[in-house]
Amino acid sequence: MTMTSESEKYDKIINLLRKSKPVLDSTEDIEREVINRLSRAKHSGLTLADVIDFLFGWVDIVWIRWSLITASIVLVLFFVYQQSIILKQIDFLSNHTTIIEEEPLSRSAYEIEKKVMMYKLSGRKIPAQSITISEKQMEQLLESVNELQVQYRDLLNLIKEDPELKKYIEEKLNENNRVKIKL
Amino acid sequence: MMVVSCDEPETVVTNYVHPDGSVTRKIEMRNIDIKKKISGIQVPFDSTWTVKDSCEISSKGDTVWIRRAVKLFKNVDEINSAYKTDSGANRDFSRQAGFNKSFKWFNTEFRFSERIDRKLSFGYPIQDFLNEEELVYFYSPDDMRYKKEHSSDSLKFKALKDSVDKKIEIWTSKNLVSGWISEFSKQVKNLPGEQSVVETLKSHEDDLIKLININDKKLDSLWSNGIILKKFLSEAEYITFKAEADSAIEMVAEHFFVDFKDYMVRIVMPGKLIGTNGFIDSSQVLLWPVKSEYFLTQQYEMWAESKIPNRWAWVVSGLFVVFVITGVIVRVIKKG
Repeated sequence: MTMTSESEKYDKIINLLRKSKPVLDSTEDIEREVINRLSRAKHSGLTLADVIDFLFGWVDIVWIRWSLITASIVLVLFFVYQQSIILKQIDFLSNHTTIIEEEPLSRSAYEIEKKVMMYKLSGRKIPAQSITISEKQMEQLLESVNELQVQYRDLLNLIKEDPELKKYIEEKLNENNRVKIKL
Repeated sequence: MMVVSCDEPETVVTNYVHPDGSVTRKIEMRNIDIKKKISGIQVPFDSTWTVKDSCEISSKGDTVWIRRAVKLFKNVDEINSAYKTDSGANRDFSRQAGFNKSFKWFNTEFRFSERIDRKLSFGYPIQDFLNEEELVYFYSPDDMRYKKEHSSDSLKFKALKDSVDKKIEIWTSKNLVSGWISEFSKQVKNLPGEQSVVETLKSHEDDLIKLININDKKLDSLWSNGIILKKFLSEAEYITFKAEADSAIEMVAEHFFVDFKDYMVRIVMPGKLIGTNGFIDSSQVLLWPVKSEYFLTQQYEMWAESKIPNRWAWVVSGLFVVFVITGVIVRVIKKG
């Protein structure tokens, strides 16, 4: 009994709904929209809008948008920082001393002078296994070096004090240089 | 500090550093007598090297024998093991090479170094005695010094040289005296009255240095007669500790006279050079002289840094930034 009454009610509602149809203002617009949608469905290829939606869909998600913007700012700042440091370093290097290449000096007087000084300062004590000349010879050498240094200093003072002598020596030295060049 | 010897060749070691950490090492030995068996070479060298001998005429017109040897080392560990097993002239010195490669996204940076450990356990660093300009002069190669001293600025450089020489003399004396005091204090440890003697000597370190410098020429006789020590110690103290004082000075002299053969190190880095403590020669190669006084009281490190740009990282980063900017523009347009 109850089943029949329920199905009757349902039929009544359906009939009522069928009878009360919506009022359409512009059937033409609806027709056009339906035709458009159908024709779009027929074209299965991607449009620019689809691509843009696909590529840049993330811009609508706030946290992704801000993460990517932050990441790109960090990347740019890191690049600028790194390059500026490198440029500073290169600039520093460009001011560094440059040497014009030449054959190295065989053993400069400076070096020998320094070694003699070191020998003197360390109390003239050399480990036995390193001695290649006798102590006496070494003493003689040191005395000669000292003597020469004193004489050289005196000679320089003498030349400095006498302008004529200075001029004469300079001329002689120049002449000597010229002869060497000719040779 | 070093015994004069002229047997060793003039040696220049060039390290060609590759991005993978391998190093091609080239040794150039000048004036070497090719007929003689090679010995006394400043850096590790053996039969595994490719050797080429040649006779060349120098710019001065002299005949120079040159031996060139090349070897590829897979990494710095190989160079270090060669240093460890070195039987050459400088075998007693602890030397190491180092290589470091760091990826820094836009660039890959490289660092190569050659280090010589300090020889003395005592002494003062040279930086305490020389100013910046003097330090540059101190560490500069001989030919550069020579050129400066004979340039139009010769007066300035001669004054600089004199100042450096004077300060090095003081540095040397200070090292000797401090070394002697430290050795002496070790030898007299636990002997009666040692504490007051060591303290007296320590407090008179500067006076002792002055005395040595003033009496440079008669140092031997002054020391053997005890005149130097008696200036600071009593007669009784002098007699008690004389043997230890003599022994200490012998020990210090032994450490001080390092038999090191000088040479030059050159480094060629991969990519663009961004940092170094070396000099740059006319062929844009880094150059360091290696002399015993450089590592007597402190470690001597010759280092160079360079970088190679990672082009792919530049492209990837550029594309990413453009992508994000475009996204932002698209959003602005959509909203508008």
